[in-house]
Amino acid sequence: MRAVSNHNKKSIARTSLIRTLLFVAAILLVGAQFDAYNQGQLAVVLILFIGVLSVTLLTGISGQLSLGQGALMAVGGYSTALLMINYKLSLWVAVPLSVISSAIAGLLLGIAAARLRGPYLAGTTLVIALAIPTIANRFMSVFKGDEGLPVDVGYPPQWFSNLFGEPGYEQWQLYVALPFAAIALFFASNILKSRTGRMWRSIRDNETATSLSGVNFSRQKIYVFVISSSFAGLSGALYGLRGLVGPSVYPVSLSLLLLTAAVLGGIRSITGAFIGTVIVVFLPDWIDLVLVNFELSEQVSNYLPALISSLLLILTVVINPAGVAGTRLHKHK
Amino acid sequence: MNTFLAALSSGTSRGAIFALVALGLVIVWRGAGIVNFAQMGQAMFSTYIASTLITNGNSYWIAFFVALISGAVLGALLDILVMRPLSNKKQSELLSSESMRAAVPVIASLGILGVLQALAGIIWAAEERGFPAPAKQEGFTVAGNVLPFTSFDLFVVSIVTVTLIITTLFFTKTGIGLAMRATALNQEVAKLSGIRTNRTRTISWAISGAASSLAGLLITPTSNLSPNSLDLVLIVGFTAAVVGGLDSPAGAVLGGFILGMVISFVTFYSTPEDVFLAILAVLLIVLIIRPRGILGSKDARRV
Repeated sequence: MRAVSNHNKKSIARTSLIRTLLFVAAILLVGAQFDAYNQGQLAVVLILFIGVLSVTLLTGISGQLSLGQGALMAVGGYSTALLMINYKLSLWVAVPLSVISSAIAGLLLGIAAARLRGPYLAGTTLVIALAIPTIANRFMSVFKGDEGLPVDVGYPPQWFSNLFGEPGYEQWQLYVALPFAAIALFFASNILKSRTGRMWRSIRDNETATSLSGVNFSRQKIYVFVISSSFAGLSGALYGLRGLVGPSVYPVSLSLLLLTAAVLGGIRSITGAFIGTVIVVFLPDWIDLVLVNFELSEQVSNYLPALISSLLLILTVVINPAGVAGTRLHKHK
Repeated sequence: MNTFLAALSSGTSRGAIFALVALGLVIVWRGAGIVNFAQMGQAMFSTYIASTLITNGNSYWIAFFVALISGAVLGALLDILVMRPLSNKKQSELLSSESMRAAVPVIASLGILGVLQALAGIIWAAEERGFPAPAKQEGFTVAGNVLPFTSFDLFVVSIVTVTLIITTLFFTKTGIGLAMRATALNQEVAKLSGIRTNRTRTISWAISGAASSLAGLLITPTSNLSPNSLDLVLIVGFTAAVVGGLDSPAGAVLGGFILGMVISFVTFYSTPEDVFLAILAVLLIVLIIRPRGILGSKDARRV
């Protein structure tokens, strides 16, 4: 029995590793073809992909709907910014440390949220998403209020430039985000296929049966929150490194954007999370491409991406709840 | 002492509005089992309609009633176009678990909120505009002293009281109200006794739409009108509904006034920035001590 499960673990890890390496290769190939603007956009895709994965794990896999992922991203962002500015740490140290701090925030949130369900959880996390950024204004001296804390990815180290040539700024953003996205992808795909993933799915599908099978489900629910918050914190840390960490960088609409991406792509699948992220990030550009031929006022073009992504969200939920990646999902169950 | 009176009066008039918002949420929750996060988006939309009518030279009262009616129509439409097809899809694999059945309508309502806000932005431009009050916003003067209670506050409190009385009578004295309470209690049994549950659901959405539009009309004179301006009101209304008990209309009113007082006293005695933390604190305290809310029934849907 033990031998079988060890073998399983190895083969799961191997599949996830191959998947991750293919992902990295594909991003590098595509990134090399892009111009600077689209490289920046691709970096945003990678960063938000990590955040969308946090929604996939929490909502899609374990069935808990949170609208507060943006607040956890803010925790990651502020931790990184404070560590980099006050302690002069390199981002390669500061970002992993802020993953720990968002995991702790997730632990606290999980303890409070483990007893909440459905709309109660959604509403409470929404209030949290609104309340957390106001802390930045409450403790001005530390968080600098609305002005925020400026941080960025800086410049590549000398050895990197010697090896691969001098990358552009957007290209460097992409290269910084890529290893973190790869680690997140590896972890998420491992969790989904492992015993833990099965346990979380069973919590989602039937709590009574799960607890009768000997699973301590409130502990597992808290555990989901910790893992999901770590993903959100990582995403938020990298998101802030685009230039600024402040309340305006992590609005409530960011939480909704992550949810939209996860649902559009397919809320139960990792592939779906990536497809959804690509859709929400590139949608404004695609709309612009179509609209060049029409004379539209700025007012219309400003709100069109939000209108279309919200319409897509409703249509997905009503017509095809499994999302873009859903067809594959049905085969796997 | 003056600060105290000012906080008390502002708390009363805000509390009345939050009570309406919470009542709107409770009606849809009881009638359809959904917390409607799009509710204040609907209210924003009908307040914009009223604002446009007034700008075009119509009287306040015409705009007022048109807004209420369009709020009701919009609510009914959303149920028919989005929520009813969604609830008919319960057989699908994604909705097979209980937790997802609760989550998916919330996601749909967030989508509706996004659509309404974007549409309002496209139609009415993004810049904020004011909205008139039908009564003076200066305090009453008694023996030379200006009281912190304005005639607009009086208008708000009395119109909300009238609305609450009408709603109570509707739910307790009319056939449709009885049918709606029966549906809220047990949908299957109600259906078997010949109540058209689809119709009562749509009526719940319409009433809730009208109630929240009224809240929108009453709150915008003291704030401003923009596509996002009522988001915070929804958060407060939700907290009020949870505090009072999500399945209890009387609880919604009580919760609304509690939240009105908390927000008002925090604003007057501390800084406005603490308001959100105070709301969060109230919400967490209630969820920990009494998760079903002050007046929520014990066997109500689990928290």
